[in-house]
Amino acid sequence: MAEEHQHQIYLQPIPVRIWHWINAFGIVTLAVSGAQIRFPEYITLLGSYKSAIYLHNTAGFVVAISFSLWFFYYTFVTRTMANLYVPKVEDLKTGLVKQAKFYFLTYFLGWDNPHHPTPDSKFNPMQKSAYLAIMFVMMPLVSLSGIFLTNVDPLRGLIVMIGGLKLLAGLHFLLACCLIAFIPTHIYLATMGRTPTDHIKTMWTGWEEEEEHDEKPETGGVTSGH
Amino acid sequence: MKRYNVLNSLWLGLLLVILALPLSVAAMEMEDCLGCHSDVDEVGDDLFIDEDKFLPTEHAEMGCVTCHESVTDEHPDDGESVSSADCLDCHEELGSEYMATAHAENASCSDCHNPHQVHGIEAVSGPDMNQQCSQCHEDVDVMDSHSQWLPQASLHISKLPCITCHTSAEAYEIVLNITQKKKKSEGGKGYRFSTYDDLKQYSNDKEIQQLIDIDGDNHISLAELRTFNKNPEYTDLHLSGTMVPSEVSHDLSTLDNRYDCTFCHASGPGSMQTSFVAFPTEDGRYQRMSVAEGAMLDTLYGTPNFYMTGPTRSAAMNIIGLIIICGGFVMPIGHGTLRFLTRNNRKH
Repeated sequence: MAEEHQHQIYLQPIPVRIWHWINAFGIVTLAVSGAQIRFPEYITLLGSYKSAIYLHNTAGFVVAISFSLWFFYYTFVTRTMANLYVPKVEDLKTGLVKQAKFYFLTYFLGWDNPHHPTPDSKFNPMQKSAYLAIMFVMMPLVSLSGIFLTNVDPLRGLIVMIGGLKLLAGLHFLLACCLIAFIPTHIYLATMGRTPTDHIKTMWTGWEEEEEHDEKPETGGVTSGH
Repeated sequence: MKRYNVLNSLWLGLLLVILALPLSVAAMEMEDCLGCHSDVDEVGDDLFIDEDKFLPTEHAEMGCVTCHESVTDEHPDDGESVSSADCLDCHEELGSEYMATAHAENASCSDCHNPHQVHGIEAVSGPDMNQQCSQCHEDVDVMDSHSQWLPQASLHISKLPCITCHTSAEAYEIVLNITQKKKKSEGGKGYRFSTYDDLKQYSNDKEIQQLIDIDGDNHISLAELRTFNKNPEYTDLHLSGTMVPSEVSHDLSTLDNRYDCTFCHASGPGSMQTSFVAFPTEDGRYQRMSVAEGAMLDTLYGTPNFYMTGPTRSAAMNIIGLIIICGGFVMPIGHGTLRFLTRNNRKH
């Protein structure tokens, strides 16, 4: 075992991997069932409208619970939430530009990724900013609006106060579209490891190749973890 | 000339008497009947007619003897029992439809519809319609049986008249009622339907319709709906929408298409075109006013609290959503193409 991983680092612990794949499966289920709920006369992939509703509500519940466990794990167990997800001043001042320059210019010239992932610093400045918006703004808001939409009657007063049911449903829909839009970008960036499947394997096994043993690493830790 | 004027006056007088005679007789008859039957102490509970509720009905316009034709001038001293018309004499089509259902074995027309209080579907609210059903079907039982299969059962039951699903009517329309926050004295949380007097406090010297129909043209435009919904003076009011059948049917069987939700939720935005606002009247009825076609589909402010998953989706929102999702492919396609073209630079 030790020999097997002697040139690797343990980047994604088991709880994070379990959460990631539950989340991935849940979000795809939510997207498909959500599409049927919004366009029932065109999309009938999941059978009856009622099954789409039940599946959507169940998947939403599972994703919300797994999100809470993810939050609990990073905040109270490893206590690395702030370190991993909140961009530092340096990240904002120079890191973002440096990373963007790599993705959109120097990567094509064959230069190395300026960021090398470690368990304490898994994300580059662009990832940190993107995940901050996704995990701390979009996911909580889409979950919260979903909870409101499944409890319209008891929360009617509150819903009217915040601007109405249509505003809430519109917010839920647009946030869902943003999260769906993230999927192709996320999968694409996950193929930018040393090999196209490198980061994907890391999210399955937890282990990532150590870059100092690699003479000319291409990229590193682009989207392989959260 | 003078004789001519006298003759003219005589003719005119005679004409007025002839025209007014049937009205006065009819009015007298009604007055005679109600003179006793609107006094509960005189006739007892069974024969009491609530004048306030009876007079606004269409049945009242026909006069008492139309249905109770055997009544004589000597009533009640003649000791004869008074005949009552059969509802099916006039409501033949609806009646025969109803008589063919299992309901007819358990309830006659008058068990659900008090003929001295009944109104057409346009003049009653959803909760009023449901009162007929809840005389036999206990609220708890209704909730239990629906919760077993219907998603968001309590929301459906609280928002919809039973007959939206439990009749064979194939088309429906949207009716919006003005509701208002319950005061503490009324039991606190939630909203209730505003009465005429409630709304009069908002409209002051104007007609209550002008709270929404600002230009008074008896039609509500999308702009007027938005203005009402955004008016800070009306924050305690909101429009509560429901679906009611376009035509009344008395076939109370539940059709299969209601069970799989497709009847309403897969009916598409086309089904949301016809809508009305129902304003309460002084006598406790409702009077509908038409709303601009498609107003239910306005993205935010047309009807901010009427949203049905499926048919009320906004086209503008769909386009924005599509653009966002397409944006997610910019990186894989754009970056991926450049990545492919520059692949030789990364062969170390």
